[in-house]
Amino acid sequence: MNTPEVHINAVRLAKSVKLTEGSLTILHDISLTINRGETVAIVGASGSGKSTLLSLLAGLDVPSRGEVHLAGQALHRLSEDERAAIRAEHVGFVFQSFLLLPSLTALENITLPAELAGVKDARERAMTLLAQVGLSERADFYPAQLSGGEQQRVAIARAFITRPAVLFADEPSANLDAATGQKIEDLLFRLNAEQGTTLVLVTHNDELARRCQRQYRMQAGRFIDTTTQDLADVG
Amino acid sequence: MWASIAWRLFWRELSRGELWVIAFALFLAVGSVVSLSGITEGVKSALLQRSAQFNAADKVLRSSQPFDEQLFTLAEQQYQLSTARQMQFDSMLFAGDAMQLATIKAVSSSYPLRGDLVLYRSELVTAGETAELKPGQVFFEARLFDLLGVNVGDEVELGLAKLQVGGVIVNEPDAPLSVFGGSPRVIMHLDDVPATEIVQPGSRIGYRYLFAGDTTSLAQFEAEVNDKLTVHQRWQKMDRESAIGGALERAERFLLLAGLLGIVLAACAAAVAASRYSQRHTQAVAVIKALGATTAQIRLIYGSHLLLVVLFSLLCGLVAGQLAIGAVQWGINLYMPDYRAEFSIRPLWLGTLTCVICALLFAARPMWRLSNTAAIEVLKQPAAQFVLDKLQWLTGAAAIWALMWLFSGELVLSIGLFLLCAGFAALLIATAAVIVRLVKPGAAGQASAPKLAIANLRRRLWANSFQLITFSLAIFLALLLYFLRAELIGQWQRQIPQGAPNQFLVNINQQQRTVLNNFAAEQQLQLDQYYPVVRGRLMSINDEQLQQEATKEDRSQQRVGVGRELNLTWLSALPKNNHILQGDWFAEGATAQVSVEEEIAERLELKLGDSLAFSIGGQQVSAVVSSIRKVDWNSLQPNFYMILSPDLLAEFPATFITAFYLPPEQNALLNQLARLLPTVSVISVDNIIAQVNDIIDQVTVALSFILLIICLAAALVLVAQVQATLEQREQELAILRTLGARYALLRNALLLEFALLGAMAGGFATILAELMLLLVQQRVFELPFTPHYSLWWMGPTLGIGMVTLLGWWQLRRLLSIPGAQLMRRVLQG
Repeated sequence: MNTPEVHINAVRLAKSVKLTEGSLTILHDISLTINRGETVAIVGASGSGKSTLLSLLAGLDVPSRGEVHLAGQALHRLSEDERAAIRAEHVGFVFQSFLLLPSLTALENITLPAELAGVKDARERAMTLLAQVGLSERADFYPAQLSGGEQQRVAIARAFITRPAVLFADEPSANLDAATGQKIEDLLFRLNAEQGTTLVLVTHNDELARRCQRQYRMQAGRFIDTTTQDLADVG
Repeated sequence: MWASIAWRLFWRELSRGELWVIAFALFLAVGSVVSLSGITEGVKSALLQRSAQFNAADKVLRSSQPFDEQLFTLAEQQYQLSTARQMQFDSMLFAGDAMQLATIKAVSSSYPLRGDLVLYRSELVTAGETAELKPGQVFFEARLFDLLGVNVGDEVELGLAKLQVGGVIVNEPDAPLSVFGGSPRVIMHLDDVPATEIVQPGSRIGYRYLFAGDTTSLAQFEAEVNDKLTVHQRWQKMDRESAIGGALERAERFLLLAGLLGIVLAACAAAVAASRYSQRHTQAVAVIKALGATTAQIRLIYGSHLLLVVLFSLLCGLVAGQLAIGAVQWGINLYMPDYRAEFSIRPLWLGTLTCVICALLFAARPMWRLSNTAAIEVLKQPAAQFVLDKLQWLTGAAAIWALMWLFSGELVLSIGLFLLCAGFAALLIATAAVIVRLVKPGAAGQASAPKLAIANLRRRLWANSFQLITFSLAIFLALLLYFLRAELIGQWQRQIPQGAPNQFLVNINQQQRTVLNNFAAEQQLQLDQYYPVVRGRLMSINDEQLQQEATKEDRSQQRVGVGRELNLTWLSALPKNNHILQGDWFAEGATAQVSVEEEIAERLELKLGDSLAFSIGGQQVSAVVSSIRKVDWNSLQPNFYMILSPDLLAEFPATFITAFYLPPEQNALLNQLARLLPTVSVISVDNIIAQVNDIIDQVTVALSFILLIICLAAALVLVAQVQATLEQREQELAILRTLGARYALLRNALLLEFALLGAMAGGFATILAELMLLLVQQRVFELPFTPHYSLWWMGPTLGIGMVTLLGWWQLRRLLSIPGAQLMRRVLQG
């Protein structure tokens, strides 16, 4: 068996924010390693620091202390624009509140990251993804004309269009009803498996977390527990 | 790549209406600057052209020394100007045994360059064949035929030359408008002057250089000539002291003042709209950045949006402004068929500069802030509350000051005005804060609309303070403009009331008064009072002979009449439109006193108690200065520099001046009068009155136009402001509806909130407007201050009505959305 390739590596990550009276530390000494193609869940209650950790791992923000490497790049040493270039090339996102641009159609929302990355066949890829998420007929609909579940399917298609090496999903089904949420989760894991993407999932939902190979449980900005699932258990 | 994304987003934003408020605000700013400055220039140019007709040229250079040929060569060859020459002097005319002192004007063939010289081959101005001025001929003012006893074709002697009487002067464009008349006027050809041998060293002769051409060449020529002028040469002022000049200056100041504030208002609307745009797009930018866009790409995308909006608004504003100018020029043409509309680039660059200042300092900052949004914002809840950042306050304030400087052209004035505005704004915020804190929402208990409204106002106090400033400014402007417009027009109309005398009769002797009185009674004409006139020369001040003053006057080319013969009058009552500045008017039985006009008193350094000696008909008369008067030279009535106490002049033979109103359809009566009293001169001021009325009409149109712009700008600010709070209101309404608040309660609370805000804004606006009216009336228009009682109910009513209606109009849809749907919209962001 080959040694798994390390894709994301965080070493003693910490994040503090300045308040009017002193500062508040949101993350304390977080270290983790995620291998290429692995699915990892970060689980915790609201305010546990899981979204902050996601923002650091994805290069949306920089740590106050510690190191974070993604696809061989030291994100903590890069500027905002250099991190944007890394995101454009390697990263896809699915957000809790979908975050589609209201003035673009479903198709245009999907093509946007590909256009930013300079992908030539963006439209063709987008049409294929729209078909994969079952929304071919809704290509020219604006987000306001789509249901919550449909919007999240468009968001998933958008996340995969650049064929990212890593996909970060922040509570992807939290804003949806249980049945729709289930469908969205299935879609996400199916596309992830098909494309062999590394998946980092932030959720407070244990059931969803269990579908990942590893789960890190957080509380008050620290890991309190790490569980590794048997591959057979992962759905 | 970014271009296609930018273009696509731009069109979608346009169709969603996000950019229109910014575009319309900039359009309004550009359109109003272009049209205001263009209209002012148009009206000014029309008046200058009118005034040129009264001066027979666009520019007149006066000199007491013979013509400098180099100046004509320079004007004709380098600046392609048309030129004419004119000499004026007093001389005796002889016809057989008869002789008469006359004012002779010798002109070159090209005279006049503007206006028309109309000569008839006749003794009467009412009928005759049109004649042309040729060498060897002289043309007379009508009364001179009788005074000399000559007819057309007879020969007269002027100096050593013999000239043939060619006919009568019907219209002389640059004839003096003075109602005093003076010597009868004669026009001759310049070529005949050498033969008269009148021009000798020391002769008192006025030389005039007449120039006409396009404005730019004239201005360049004037600038070049100014360096070469000798002490004997000076440019003739064009109508500054006349009623027209005064009216125009007031109008121009007023237009610019009102226009500037309207533009500031439009710029505020642009700033608010741009801030809201930036705030609403923060999350979209964070998403795009999270998906891999760099800050530079975001700047290109949203910068190009701003650029397109600016270009579009600029273009539309320039075109609309130019159309407005065209419409006004067309209007002027109706009044003045020979009006030459000139294209001026100034309004266009002024409009462009305003647009650039507004876009850079008001709208660019929010866009810049937007591009700096961090990608991490994607994980945060977007702020619902609209806020202006500190730097935007600073750049906005800098923009307002820059606009003030641009329009006033005076650094100190613009800084002063800006500090005044900033002070008012601070005072307004402080007062609003005190009021809102004082008004408590009441004890806890059942929710009521007033309680909710006051709670809303208190909670949004600082956000509201900006709204309050702009609402107050908008209402203040509308009020100020409405009241000043009415006052300005009223004042002008009072200046020339219906039925004001339009025909002045001069040179009436004692016997002719009876004839004239009978004629007036017969024709039912209302004669004004008779002003006696005696011509005299000021000889000395406090026993100091005036030789020195006369020389000084010659050198500086001061007003004709001092050092020469003056028109002196004696009156027992102070004439209308005269105000005593120092001393007292003649007391009953006062003897040997004189009242002197302010300007001439200043020029001759006269003070109360000085003793003046006049030479009248060879006799010496002395008087002590007992008062110094301010004279309203704008009033169309005989005005005098020196008024003597009745005891001094009553014994001298005087001529009289009077005036009456003659409706235009009765003009034929003037011929009867000319036949009845051939030596009396009739001076008609109909054309001056018509000119002033034209200006009033044009300025009224311009003022109504500005009022419209201000109202539009004010409404736009209100719309932008209310839109800026939409998200936050949507959230609050969703929560309140979910918690079970009834529609009626929410509606009433909303209406009341706007009504309270409107009442405060209206109240502040009223106080500000009254203060500003006081200042403007006294300082700018030099009018006495009168309180405006109707302002005190109109201001608050306008505030409540305007703010409530516009607020309700924008929020009514939000209120009508069912609670569940509203909550869903809020949750979906």
